[in-house]
Amino acid sequence: MTSRGTPSRFLQSVLRNGLGRYVCQLKRLTLVFSKEARSSHGAREFIEENIVDFAKQNPSIVMYVAPQKCSHPKLIAEYLNGAVKEEQINRKTGEEIVQLVQKLANQSGLDIIRIRKLYHTDSPSIQGQWHPFINKPTSLNVKDRKS
Amino acid sequence: TLFRSQHSQATSVHPGYVPKTSLSEPPWSPVKLPDAREEAIHHAEVVQRINNLIANGQFGRLFAVIHFASRQWKVTNEDLILSHADIDAKCGDKIRLEKVLLVGGDDFTLIGKPLLDRDHVRVEATVIEKTESCPKIHMRFWKRHRYQRKRIIVHPQTLLRINTIDRKST
Repeated sequence: MTSRGTPSRFLQSVLRNGLGRYVCQLKRLTLVFSKEARSSHGAREFIEENIVDFAKQNPSIVMYVAPQKCSHPKLIAEYLNGAVKEEQINRKTGEEIVQLVQKLANQSGLDIIRIRKLYHTDSPSIQGQWHPFINKPTSLNVKDRKS
Repeated sequence: TLFRSQHSQATSVHPGYVPKTSLSEPPWSPVKLPDAREEAIHHAEVVQRINNLIANGQFGRLFAVIHFASRQWKVTNEDLILSHADIDAKCGDKIRLEKVLLVGGDDFTLIGKPLLDRDHVRVEATVIEKTESCPKIHMRFWKRHRYQRKRIIVHPQTLLRINTIDRKST
């Protein structure tokens, strides 16, 4: 669809993130996979090799591992602003899952839709906003009244 | 025989002469430039005053024009910038933006030719988010030729928050 037909938002951050301290916006990662199915082979590889390192590098993210009987394994990411994202990791290799998890950790929970402006300021003008009477003689404002 | 240019009446008029009409001169009054020496003294005074202001730190919020990701941005403290590019820094890293073209405050502006010195300005930013853009559809269709191609393009995005703009005088 065109950008007019799809939703859009302005550029924003969650609760002034970078100002004081950077807070990782991903709070919970749940990995749902099955112990025997071949589609979860990558997920099992990820759990055996990479998950502990990733968890140690990002101590603010809580990781849950849920082995269930499911045909399609998935990653459920929950963010600090309440957004929940489900990603299918069906038949992906361990390395692909590592990159996907890193991408989810770098995101914030804001919608991935068209962003209208690539910048956002709270104080757009410092020297005063331009208007047509700046730097013009004030005699332009004076009008003689014929009384 | 005399040529037309040798007539005495022709030489009394200088070559750039235009007879006075409503459009022969611009409608504003003629500009008088100030004397060069007085102007130089005035400039030196202004520069001295501004240097004193900066040395005492008597400026409020500063803005800067920065060249980043092949674009120029007008930037203050605490504002957000989104670039469609991948940066080597990780989320949460602090970055110093070095290509500063202009720095201004309420009373003064410093214009670089084209860049300002690194020792004079310091612009710091934090990388907040590294996402992918929304999926953009690239479609080609020729009618009556049974030709269509559809491709979904996703750009990497980096969100920066400008933390501070510092101005130090030397």
